[in-house]
Amino acid sequence: MSPNVLALLPEIILTITGVLVMVAEPVLPAGQSRKPLGVLAILGTLAAGFASWYQLGFGTIHAYFNTIQVDSFSVFFHLLIAAIVLVTLLSSLDYFEGHASHAGEYFALTLFGATGMMLMTCSVELLMVFVGLEISSISTYILAGFRKGQASATESSIKYFLLGSFATAFFLYGIALAFGSTGSTRIDVISQNLASTATPTLALLSLALIIIGIGFKVSAAPFHVWTPDVYQGAPAPVVGLMSTAPKAAAFAVLLRILFSGFPSYEPRWASLIWIIAALSMTVGNLGALLQRDVKRMLAYSSIAHAGYLLVAYTAFPADGIASACFYTAAYAAMNVGAFTVITQIGGYRENVRTIEDYSGLALKRPVLAAVLGFFLLSLIGIPFTGGFFGKFYVFSAALHAGHVWLAVIGLLNSGIACFYYLRLLASLYSRRPAIEDNLFDGITVTLPAALALTITAAATLLLGIAPNQVLSLAQRSAAATAPGSANSTTNASR
Amino acid sequence: MQLALFIIFGLLAVAGAINFLLQRHPINSALSLIVVMMSLAVLYWSLGAEFLAAAQVIVYSGAVMVLFVFVVMLLNAGEEERTHGSRAAYFAGIPGATAIFCLLSFVFLTNGKAFGSTDLINHLTHTTNNIAEISQVLFRDLLLPFEVTSVLILVAILGAVVLARKEQ
Amino acid sequence: MPADFLWLIPLLPFTGFLINGTLGRRLPRPLVAAIALIPTALSAILWISLWFSMKAPGAPESIQSVASLFGNTSWIAISGFHVDFAFSVDHLTLIMLGVVTCVGFLIHLYSVGYMAHEEGYWRFFAYLNLFMFFMLVLVLAANFLLLFVGWEGVGLASYLLIGFYFKKDSAANAGKKAFVVNRIGDFGFLLAMFLLIAHFGSLDFTTIFTAVNQHPEWQGGFLTAIALLLVVGATGKSAQIPLYVWLPDAMEGPTPVSALIHAATMVTAGIYMVARSHAIFDRSPYALGVVAIIGAATALFAACIGMVQHDIKRVLAYSTVSQLGYMFLACGVGAYTAGVFHLLTHAFFKALLFLAAGSVIHALSGEQDMRKMGGLRKRIPVTFWTMTMGVFAIAGLPPLAGFFSKDEILFRAFVSPNPIGKLLWLVGLITAGMTSFYMFRLWFKTFFGAERFEEHHDSHGHDAHGHGGVHESPLVMTLPLMVLALLSIIGGWVGVPEALGGHDEIGAFLEPVLSSTGVTVTEVVSHGTEIGLAAISVLVALTGLFAAYVLYYKKPGTAATYAQRFPALYRLVENKFYIDELYQAVIITPLLMFTRIVLGIAIDGGVVGGSAAAATATTRGLGSLVRRVQSGNIRSYAGWLALGAAAVIAVMIFGYTH
Repeated sequence: MSPNVLALLPEIILTITGVLVMVAEPVLPAGQSRKPLGVLAILGTLAAGFASWYQLGFGTIHAYFNTIQVDSFSVFFHLLIAAIVLVTLLSSLDYFEGHASHAGEYFALTLFGATGMMLMTCSVELLMVFVGLEISSISTYILAGFRKGQASATESSIKYFLLGSFATAFFLYGIALAFGSTGSTRIDVISQNLASTATPTLALLSLALIIIGIGFKVSAAPFHVWTPDVYQGAPAPVVGLMSTAPKAAAFAVLLRILFSGFPSYEPRWASLIWIIAALSMTVGNLGALLQRDVKRMLAYSSIAHAGYLLVAYTAFPADGIASACFYTAAYAAMNVGAFTVITQIGGYRENVRTIEDYSGLALKRPVLAAVLGFFLLSLIGIPFTGGFFGKFYVFSAALHAGHVWLAVIGLLNSGIACFYYLRLLASLYSRRPAIEDNLFDGITVTLPAALALTITAAATLLLGIAPNQVLSLAQRSAAATAPGSANSTTNASR
Repeated sequence: MQLALFIIFGLLAVAGAINFLLQRHPINSALSLIVVMMSLAVLYWSLGAEFLAAAQVIVYSGAVMVLFVFVVMLLNAGEEERTHGSRAAYFAGIPGATAIFCLLSFVFLTNGKAFGSTDLINHLTHTTNNIAEISQVLFRDLLLPFEVTSVLILVAILGAVVLARKEQ
Repeated sequence: MPADFLWLIPLLPFTGFLINGTLGRRLPRPLVAAIALIPTALSAILWISLWFSMKAPGAPESIQSVASLFGNTSWIAISGFHVDFAFSVDHLTLIMLGVVTCVGFLIHLYSVGYMAHEEGYWRFFAYLNLFMFFMLVLVLAANFLLLFVGWEGVGLASYLLIGFYFKKDSAANAGKKAFVVNRIGDFGFLLAMFLLIAHFGSLDFTTIFTAVNQHPEWQGGFLTAIALLLVVGATGKSAQIPLYVWLPDAMEGPTPVSALIHAATMVTAGIYMVARSHAIFDRSPYALGVVAIIGAATALFAACIGMVQHDIKRVLAYSTVSQLGYMFLACGVGAYTAGVFHLLTHAFFKALLFLAAGSVIHALSGEQDMRKMGGLRKRIPVTFWTMTMGVFAIAGLPPLAGFFSKDEILFRAFVSPNPIGKLLWLVGLITAGMTSFYMFRLWFKTFFGAERFEEHHDSHGHDAHGHGGVHESPLVMTLPLMVLALLSIIGGWVGVPEALGGHDEIGAFLEPVLSSTGVTVTEVVSHGTEIGLAAISVLVALTGLFAAYVLYYKKPGTAATYAQRFPALYRLVENKFYIDELYQAVIITPLLMFTRIVLGIAIDGGVVGGSAAAATATTRGLGSLVRRVQSGNIRSYAGWLALGAAAVIAVMIFGYTH
């Protein structure tokens, strides 16, 4: 197999499957269930996952004139994205049954989105990153508005689209200025040329613009304002997807850009990331305290988690990458899991919204409540869950790098966080108010959804008790992206 | 001459952009966007990027804007109603945008000398090189992004279909 | 006994949890009880065999067992350090294990009777077994991380059990409060662990303590920082000032839970942790001083509040806080052995007191207010006699358990080189008097005097026990009481000091683990002084007894008269010095206000309003898209984005480099 095909194998599989789904969609009769398309999409995702695993045996592959670099770092994120997409597809296989006529497009868009995200993680050329980012963003913009006929859904989609485009403009401008300053858009060349650039301030500016663009995608403060509205309006399975997979991809891009593109500017960007991380954690957790809507609350929680993750970036170069990778995986497992439960409880109409609506779930559906409770405990960061080791690793890495106060802020924040997670948890295990309604009567957990729940719960648990497998993979990926040129720590300050 | 061209068309672009924002009728806005695009094309050309200038005219002023105008006509969109933007938009947006503008100007002004300058006449006499270089970049170094854009467009079309189609 | 058997000790209760947690709903009650009790009993038996194998001459001082998960010997390996999934047992662990398994088993047994009429029987035992699992992990852990896993796990189990009656708001809130307050403590613990990683590259007990012992030049400095952060963790779990507020509220849980978790085991985890890491504390006189002062202050403060409480369980809760203060005080003056000794005896008599109180509550169909008790001596004789043992033991009357351990602590405080040692001793002594007073107050009010309760013949009590009338508890409940009463009598005899003709066996037993390297008792004190001090504390205890006798038995109205004479003071103490209100006003309210104002109005307020308005509009087709663009929201969001972007650029260009 030519290295060019090998390097893009997972993306090619996903694209072809996506096109197949699109082609098959009109062939199916109008009123018929779109489930077979979903199954096709699931198979495609599985195949893409295996393709990524297969790539691991080839070491580092460079392809397409060095725009693509497949290494254990990219494989780590490929596998993660494939897993998230798989779980999302499983949990939403029955989501559109009997409600929408466009389920086929949903599956296709999810696959294309995954293609974009995977391209982001394996490309070392900023323009390629940009194209991947746009593919993933546009898919998610549209997916966010998939509960058609709901005003909030369309609003969510439009908001996300407009603000997302605004942020993407910053990112693109950043790429342009990076080219202006260093004469290249390839990450490794940028890193080499930075030492001799005549315009260091311009390079700084370009980096700032890139951080703004990525900051929006990962919903880090102060670029988080869109998150609650969009998450509230979007369909629950899509929120599970878009709060994890595109973020994982964007975090991967940021890791590559900062750690292998701009390592010599570390003294500058580290303090910026420090501020963004502290701000995101604080804003996210304090904001979540005020929410009554569960999806809004989890939106703020995802802002906070973006903050925790950014803490890892300040641990340059020691444990930064490995801890960031691990946290991304742990966060993905628990958050997708939580949204899978919410998908099952709310259904397409999403009539279970507020924390009060969830009260008494444990009496009616003890297993669902227990699973959701488990994910919430992981989000709090209780030992024996992935969330705990993620936080532990990130904060110890930050402390190791000398960022004592950031670790303190982070720990304080995770203390605040338990207030609102507990509110939901306590609500699950409380008696329903006197007026009995049948909010939970329509819940049917289908086999694929049960499978999705099992996968996420098992992953969260496994990352908590036996984190070593993922840790070693994360460390291998760190070695792949480790700033080889980081040794030349030229001080970039003017 | 370059300076004169820059001043004229630079101002025109800015004026077109401001007009675009101020016009109430979508058609007027679309037309002023054409002015912006054309002025930008001239600026590209004056920098020696004549291929880009031509592409700008054909793609934006030709294809994209015509599409815009069609859509506006088809939707039969009338004069927009002005809404009161929220206060936050003014409190945060105006200082924010001003600050970004000042910061960018500051960086460009301080780094201006390091950029060097381009001699217009020189570029005008070596027109062919430019296209060769662009094709070199577009079909070799950046072949993959160029090709993958097809997926991007596919996604956009799919999205447009999903959003526009009425619920059955 | 082979080391790998160590794994069985915690895993047995865990299997109980798994079975009851998944199938318990469908199983009959006796089977649920059996599934919960048998593993606990087996753990206790394993402990006994472990005890004999370690007491045997020539037995190693500690045994260790490292588990391998998925073929990996280390649990977590990240660059620079790794943690094993390792358990180890030494003499300190052995004592803790004994307390947890034996007292735990007795309380399980008691619960069979106590919870017999509750719904959620299976859930209760599943949680209880889960608690046992985590508590055993905590004491068996060979490194700080695994200890922390147990630490958080018992917190979780405690949360579940406090909130067991989740249909009651107060119970759910108490559970939440306990959880949140403990998170504050965990924050200190986590930071301490990070510092340990940074300085030792390890979290393993042996590695760290060996390193500390090899470097006598390390004094204070980072060791003080680590020690103080550990203290923060310990104050959370062991309910010391300023984080004690959760424990009294935790009494909302079922009484056996209060006995097991909030008296005998979990709350002593902080003491255990401090004793375990004494090598670090010994190097920091400052941290030790803090521990001693916190302990003494908590002991006195909680005893004050305990004197005026009316709820029988709350009196015991404040008494627990106060006794934990004693243990802290012991650790603070370097007398870890005395602290662990008191931990041991306290586990016996406080578990007894709680269970006996539970028996009283059971008898009165859920009544907890002592003002509505009285004269129960004849009605529930077994409970009365066993509780009497507990009261005498905690009051510190010889030769019961509490006397020896408490006296040891007071003596150590008196002779400690600490400059305020004498003051600490005095505080401890006053507290001892107060302890004696409020315990006898409880005793007199509950068992003597006029019968102030109503005979319930219907079953609408708090715990909803479905019997009518006042009745003695069944044997399954009284048997644990009797065993614990016996232990409360003889439990202290393992630590009779030489001055009183004993051999201080527990001291010798703990010597290999807790031998202090830093602080040594400089003053050589004659046996005469020791006996004198013991005599003083007995006198003080008798004074407390006498005062309670006069005020609550002889002339029952007098206390109220005194209370009326100092109404402000009385109200202050009765309202627990308004500490909860203070925290609410100083910490929680401002935090919420800040959140509401800063985030609510500035960012989220406009958003929520805007969304609601927009949601009323219907949306169909492309036309609505255009309208949506005009929504004020998006503009303001874009405005925020622009402002944020400007800030980021400015920081990047002009920001300082770290």
